[in-house]
Amino acid sequence: MATEEESAVKEPLDLIRLSLDERIYVKLRSDRELRGKLHWVTVWLLQAYDQHLNMILGDVEEVVTTVEIDDETYEEIVRTTRRTVPFLFVRGDGVILVSPPLRTA
Amino acid sequence: MLFFSYFKDLVGREVTVELKNDLAIRGTLHSVDQYLNIKLENTRVVDQDKYPHMLSVRNCFIRGSVVRYVQLPPDGVDVDLLHDATRREARGG
Amino acid sequence: MSWASPDDVFLSTSLATYLDKKILVLLRDGRKLLGLLRSFDQFANVVLEGACERIIVGDLYCDIPLGLYVIRGENVVLIGELDLEKDELPPHMTRVSTAEIKRAQKAERDATVLKGSMRKRMEFLDFD
Repeated sequence: MATEEESAVKEPLDLIRLSLDERIYVKLRSDRELRGKLHWVTVWLLQAYDQHLNMILGDVEEVVTTVEIDDETYEEIVRTTRRTVPFLFVRGDGVILVSPPLRTA
Repeated sequence: MLFFSYFKDLVGREVTVELKNDLAIRGTLHSVDQYLNIKLENTRVVDQDKYPHMLSVRNCFIRGSVVRYVQLPPDGVDVDLLHDATRREARGG
Repeated sequence: MSWASPDDVFLSTSLATYLDKKILVLLRDGRKLLGLLRSFDQFANVVLEGACERIIVGDLYCDIPLGLYVIRGENVVLIGELDLEKDELPPHMTRVSTAEIKRAQKAERDATVLKGSMRKRMEFLDFD
């Protein structure tokens, strides 16, 4: 069990650490979204103001959205492709947002 | 835990490195450093037809900054160890 | 990439193991350079001797000689050591002249531009 001190949210990244072993949602650059169980997150300080959230997720579902232009009608075709990956390390520089699971308590 | 020390434990294991240019390469992890630069051995490109120029590449160095994902071998992931490491870092340990 | 001592150079991400070998350098803009690796540093800046650019358009390819090249590390995506026992390209690919590959490249680019401009026109006509 986490002690009260451990579970206190003092800064934004503490909220992500609180989601350990829970399914989170991650939005990435180039129209990619991940849903998976958070197993590891580490703050990688590149410079004083630049932090990366490197993560390892389990039971990951990735959704990629692409827009193509049809060869004949020249219409935009929006495609979503899905796949699942058992364990995925995600390099933090592609992360746009992280959303912890909804809590009702 | 330095973030790359975890990868050091995976040396010798098969991983798939997915790059930001969509190229995905499977191979044996040879080495990794603090910038997440990666060296792979016995590599093969996942979508070989799309990348004919990679046909004879057997060993390669990948610059850390171009990595999007690394697919890890399921039996090489110790979930409890990762959870502990995350909690330790949260306490500033 | 660190300046590893000779003992652990084979266990590190150092490019020393590729020195004097024929390598392929993939750049961030998609270009593919080939040549002999003669020097490198910890930023993956590399010196290529006898460098050439391999242009591939569909099943056509051409190697354009460039000479001695210094490549800045920040543009490097990947450095691959070529297995000299293996074919560099699949058998169905044909080598063509510089002029021919440039033509093929231009045709490919024009097709993409046409697609984009047609789409814009369609958007303009799309009243709903």
